[in-house]
Amino acid sequence: MLTQRRFGAGFRRILQDPVLAISLLLVVLFIFIAIVLPILAMIGVSLSEEGRALFGHYLGERAYQDIIVNTLTMGLSVATVGTVIGFLFAYVQVKVKAPFKRFMHLIALVPIISPPFAVATAIILLFGRNGMISKGIFGVRYDIYGLTGLTLALSLSLFTIAYLNFKGMLQALDPSLEEAATNLGASKWHIFRTVTVPMLLPGFAASFLLLFVEAIADLGNPLVLGGNYEVLATRVYISIIGLHDNVAAAVFSVILLVPSLTVFIIQRYWVGRTSVVSVTGKPAGTPQQITHPVVRWGLTGLVLGICALIISIYAVMFVGSVTRVFGVNNTFTLEHFDFVINGYGSDAMVDTTTFAIIATPLAGVLGMLIAFLIVRKAFAGRNIIDFGTMLGIAVPGTIIGIGYLLVFNNPITLTLPFVGDNVPAITLIPKLTGGRAVLGGALAIVIVYVIRSVPAALRSGAALLSQIDPAIEEASISLGANNAVTFRKITLPLIRPAFLAGLIYAFARSMTTISAIVFLTTPQTRIMTQQILNETEQGRYGNAFAYCVILIAIVLVAIGILYLTVGSTTGAERSLEGGA
Amino acid sequence: MAATQNNAADSLRLEKITKVFPSHSGEGEVKAVDAVNLTIQPGEFLTLLGPSGCGKTTTLRLIAGFEMPTAGRILLDGKDITDQPPNKRDMAMVFQSYALFPHMSVFENIAYGLHLRRLSRSEIKSKVDETLGQMGLKGLGDRRPNELSGGQQQRVALARSLVMEPRVLLFDEPLSNLDAKLRIQMRSEIHRLQRRLRITSVYVTHDQIEAMALSDRIVVMNKGQIEQMGTPSEIYHTPATRFVADFIGRANFVDATVIEQAGSRLVVEVLSRRYTVPVRFDYSPGMPIVAMLRSESLTLCADESLPQVVVEQAMFLGSEVEYIVNIGGHNIVVVEQDPRGKSPIAEGQRIGIDFAAEAIHLLPA
Repeated sequence: MLTQRRFGAGFRRILQDPVLAISLLLVVLFIFIAIVLPILAMIGVSLSEEGRALFGHYLGERAYQDIIVNTLTMGLSVATVGTVIGFLFAYVQVKVKAPFKRFMHLIALVPIISPPFAVATAIILLFGRNGMISKGIFGVRYDIYGLTGLTLALSLSLFTIAYLNFKGMLQALDPSLEEAATNLGASKWHIFRTVTVPMLLPGFAASFLLLFVEAIADLGNPLVLGGNYEVLATRVYISIIGLHDNVAAAVFSVILLVPSLTVFIIQRYWVGRTSVVSVTGKPAGTPQQITHPVVRWGLTGLVLGICALIISIYAVMFVGSVTRVFGVNNTFTLEHFDFVINGYGSDAMVDTTTFAIIATPLAGVLGMLIAFLIVRKAFAGRNIIDFGTMLGIAVPGTIIGIGYLLVFNNPITLTLPFVGDNVPAITLIPKLTGGRAVLGGALAIVIVYVIRSVPAALRSGAALLSQIDPAIEEASISLGANNAVTFRKITLPLIRPAFLAGLIYAFARSMTTISAIVFLTTPQTRIMTQQILNETEQGRYGNAFAYCVILIAIVLVAIGILYLTVGSTTGAERSLEGGA
Repeated sequence: MAATQNNAADSLRLEKITKVFPSHSGEGEVKAVDAVNLTIQPGEFLTLLGPSGCGKTTTLRLIAGFEMPTAGRILLDGKDITDQPPNKRDMAMVFQSYALFPHMSVFENIAYGLHLRRLSRSEIKSKVDETLGQMGLKGLGDRRPNELSGGQQQRVALARSLVMEPRVLLFDEPLSNLDAKLRIQMRSEIHRLQRRLRITSVYVTHDQIEAMALSDRIVVMNKGQIEQMGTPSEIYHTPATRFVADFIGRANFVDATVIEQAGSRLVVEVLSRRYTVPVRFDYSPGMPIVAMLRSESLTLCADESLPQVVVEQAMFLGSEVEYIVNIGGHNIVVVEQDPRGKSPIAEGQRIGIDFAAEAIHLLPA
């Protein structure tokens, strides 16, 4: 009886506050309908009789086994290379006495705002059969398509995740540990092997696993750079777009879902728990930086080399956007921009930006709200809400897209029993995808933008919130404020940096996402990333690059506006330390 | 028990309050508060005292409403408030970490609760200004919390609660983040304010001196239960259990042998001398007992007729000298107060130990 009352107690406290109760209910409903239901529907279809037969077929046949092996190989190689690059950038940034640190940092952040295909396309132009570098400088007809190209493109697109992860850990490493080791007579190399690396092991594991999940989920790069190297994500895409076979797509999706979810769960619930980094809040003293010339210039040179590669990729994009046919007819032209801004692309530009603008605040507020509920409110099932939200990004975008096609292609209605046939059924959720979808499918796209962005906002909100003394919110409640007032007047201002980060991420992610919405666009809703894909597939690289340049410009302007409007003017986060 | 029931309609009452948490390992449960009964009189300053993990903070948070009891009821003026959310309870809490709102000025911090009560702008200003003056914070209204010293932050936290004129003030170890000097100063300030305003107060601390200095009554808690409840002097001089005696003040426990029982008194042999001492617990013949001797009740003097001890350690502490002496392999702490003009007894020296019969307090062993 005692136990029953205890489980009930948390809920009773929430139910006493109608605003809190309704928010919780809406959050749960949203997560279920927008994230969980589509995934379940997709799994359901894959387990139909037809689907089960396909499983046997795909898992048993050599050609399909190769696709699975390809996918995993690509995941492993991207995870390895990306983690190493990320670590290298972070190590030089934090631990090595190197020049141009600010520059390296900015270059490492560029992939966040980079549209898909930009890197892949530029790599083809640089290193492909007629590549500027491969053929132009070295005179070889190198075949970049396949695993090598994919590893290069994806590592350069994803290493930022590893970089930020390692940078945070290296900065949080208590310098007194290394001082203690030095004091005991250890050399720098010995310290690196016996102190630094072991302390960062969870970071290596986390980065590796996250990159693996992101790599095998990626659709854009394999479509452009894959060549004959087929992976599961492209198979899912071809099943839907080329073959209109929902069942086959669902079966491939489930085969892709298994490693994705497994690795995600390992990362989140196992590696996430074993962190040995001692975050004491205030690092004591300043970390010693490495000045040994070989290490210093070796590592710095390596990082600067990678920076040069990244810059050359984006330079190709910029130059390509203003040349007639890059590498063939290098005359200056603005026709690609004219095509995007005044011509066919203008609708896509306006639509995509509008949807992203709508989705961004929704994702930001929802992320903070879920973070607040999960970190601050003790109720049974909050871990399920956390997990459900994280599925929005843990599950490959193509899978979300198929789930939406399966669930929302017809309106979801409720027919009341016992009222006779002349009472029309009540529409609970209108048709969201395909032809004659509500708002031309725009609603589905905005919802997908939101669910793909909420997890990042949730994590940054939860991380910051768990550093803020809960007594500050309790003080507000103790002085008579209810939960809603406390959230608005105390919590939200205090987690503003996380809110800002969530908004920036949401906007950038929405503008650059492709895999999740590629099945959801309709003739009425044009999305820039979709257009970039079309132009790239037609070989009209100039148009594709012009789209990319404009997309990057929009994201940068939006980040600027967000900083000005949401960015801290009160210094709340700086005063946290003194007040808390 | 000291708590009387006749004034129940006008007080804060805890009836068989129990709080069970799931244990950290996830398996099993921890009883943080175990069927606690407690009545706090109007205007009373009551302290919950105990070591960490004894359930004192949980009890306070149950009163505040931040935790829901697993069983039992909480009544304020006879009205059941067990299910009332914390913001509806007319109580204000002062937190250990101060919990000032870092993004608001001192004025806004203190005005926060008044805004929520929808007081007029002018009313809020006059009340906040008055409180600022009362707390010695005049002129600091525009500052941010991080621009204040620790002591000032503590004053703002106190002012923010006091300005609400709550029925009950709750203190969660409010002085533990201050340095020693400031702590003593704030202690006397809280004492002065509370005696003047007579707001019913529940105070949580693990500092026994603070508890004795501030409280009308002290509740000593251990393992989620009340060990003893009483005035500071009762708790200090006549602790009910060995736990209480040990937790408060410096206590020596010495074997006592019962020679005979004479009504409510016992003739006991302590350090091979006989004393007749009142017994304050249910003594039954044959029960093993110990004698508690406070360190400051003991004296050392060169007298061969007294039990002889060997001085093992002598520490000069300014206002007193603390000796650790050994008798029959058993260590006893003796404190000599005001050691001016006397030279401390040398370590290794044999010397007599003396105490009055009144210094002996008998406890079950």
